[in-house]
Amino acid sequence: MKLFDKLLIRILLVGCALLVVGVTVGVNLYVFGQGGTFLSPAFFLENPGGIPVGTAGGVFPAIVGTLYLGVLSAGMGGSLALAGALYLVFYCRNKWLCSVIQGAVHCLSGFPSILFGLTGYTLLVYSFGLPRSLMTASITIAALIFPFIFIRMQKLLRERYLPVMTASLSLGVGRGHCLCRLILPDVWPQLVAAVLLGMSYGMGAAAPVIYTGAVTYAGVPDSVWKPFMSLPYHLYLLVSDGISIQYAYGTACVLILLLLAINLLCRLPGWLRGRERV
Amino acid sequence: MRRWASLQPDNFATGNKLKEKTIRYTLGVGALLAPIFVVLMLAHICQQAWPAISEIGFGLLDPAGRWQPLSVNPAYSLLPALAGTLYVSLLAVLLSVPLGLGCALFLHFYTGKRLAAAMMLLVDLLAGVPSVIFGFLGLMVIVRGFETGFSMTAGECVLAAAVLLAIMLLPYVVSTCGESIADARARWLPAAASLGSSKEYCIRKVILPGIRPGVLSSALTAFGRALGETMAVMMVIGNSAVYPKLFGRAQTIAGLTALEVGSAEYGSLHLSAIYAANLILLLLLGVVWLMARLIKKRMEG
Repeated sequence: MKLFDKLLIRILLVGCALLVVGVTVGVNLYVFGQGGTFLSPAFFLENPGGIPVGTAGGVFPAIVGTLYLGVLSAGMGGSLALAGALYLVFYCRNKWLCSVIQGAVHCLSGFPSILFGLTGYTLLVYSFGLPRSLMTASITIAALIFPFIFIRMQKLLRERYLPVMTASLSLGVGRGHCLCRLILPDVWPQLVAAVLLGMSYGMGAAAPVIYTGAVTYAGVPDSVWKPFMSLPYHLYLLVSDGISIQYAYGTACVLILLLLAINLLCRLPGWLRGRERV
Repeated sequence: MRRWASLQPDNFATGNKLKEKTIRYTLGVGALLAPIFVVLMLAHICQQAWPAISEIGFGLLDPAGRWQPLSVNPAYSLLPALAGTLYVSLLAVLLSVPLGLGCALFLHFYTGKRLAAAMMLLVDLLAGVPSVIFGFLGLMVIVRGFETGFSMTAGECVLAAAVLLAIMLLPYVVSTCGESIADARARWLPAAASLGSSKEYCIRKVILPGIRPGVLSSALTAFGRALGETMAVMMVIGNSAVYPKLFGRAQTIAGLTALEVGSAEYGSLHLSAIYAANLILLLLLGVVWLMARLIKKRMEG
């Protein structure tokens, strides 16, 4: 191979890598650069104001609404995904049932997010008669993040803890006992991390909440059956209706900061214990 | 001492059967929910799409037809939106796979472990950015850039959406291609190196041909993701239900759904046609997914 070819390949590869990393860093830096100066305590803590809504004040109800949504949907989707993943990895011995569950989870994970919004809207709101509310949106988001969390947990459990289960079964220890005494006490930080990752994914999704509960303006919801404000949807409205680009940058900044904080939080246990990421 | 006592074998053989069963069935409920969700959603979509399919029939796929659900003579042709979806997704995959592959090759051949991990962390962070923010940035940077750079009156177009979508697919492509590269490297690099070939030669003649099925399956799954992407594409593509041109506005099925569900009456033919569009999208996703799976199976077998 000629020297020129070698150099060409090297330059091409370095160029690709630089471009990819540059874009990544650029996206985050650009948002902070444009919106960072706009952040102030008032922006975090005040209600949106002005006419049209969003041209003054802050985004406090949207932050709280997004957090409520995240916690509710992560609680529902996360616990179901945990139960499902534990069952599939450690209990399910019927091959047919295993492949049905596995296929269904992969199928769900391939559904576009808008499909969850669409079916959540007509199925929950019209067929089941639920109000457009925090709860309805949370159920939709829970269904969205269920396969996301499930797949991560399943991978983790199958790769690291199936040998533990095999060993305890061969020693005559019951599955439930092994799970509660040996596996869960060891793996829980990573399971929590998987749930948090799913939560941050769900909190950033706008498409599923547009028709299931997010609204243009609402206070902090005092009940789960009330409509709420969501940061991504608020951002979408500010941009698509051309309300205020400055406020849109500020909102984008808050959203990225929130998700970044959650993302770092769920890497923390891995770093502390010196293990691989989820 | 208590803990030790509870590890007596007879304790498991006799005492805890009820507890074991409770745990087993509680967990089983969570596992069974996944198939129930899927069946419920699919049944609902088919049921809602049925009026449109039976009443409009092939009018849904009429090549000369338009998407005018609200006019006096409503027309419900989904082909423009379908063509737009396919066009944008294909373009995005074509842009992002070479870049992602190059980046993954660099990470696996030219960096130390620490640098590679740090770069992967950055790329992972990109995957965590919500699509609304991508749409917003696309509008501010790419669309504006098109307006000034190509002196277009409106920068919203298929190419802008494809570039944006390609960026969004990058983390995914880098990580999946990275997996096949790591496999191929472990299998073939030592042999190639001991024969005295340079890294570049090995990449071109051994690694690249070897990971072709892996890259293809990664491209297909990326394509599947692109087909369903909603907010970001919707914000930069202009949303006109016409056949797509590279520098013209277009619409995707996901965008159409997000924009029009709110204005469509429940039980109307309009909403049903939107469901039919999503059913077509799902069928398409199914085909793509099956192809990716077949390739993966052949690769492993």
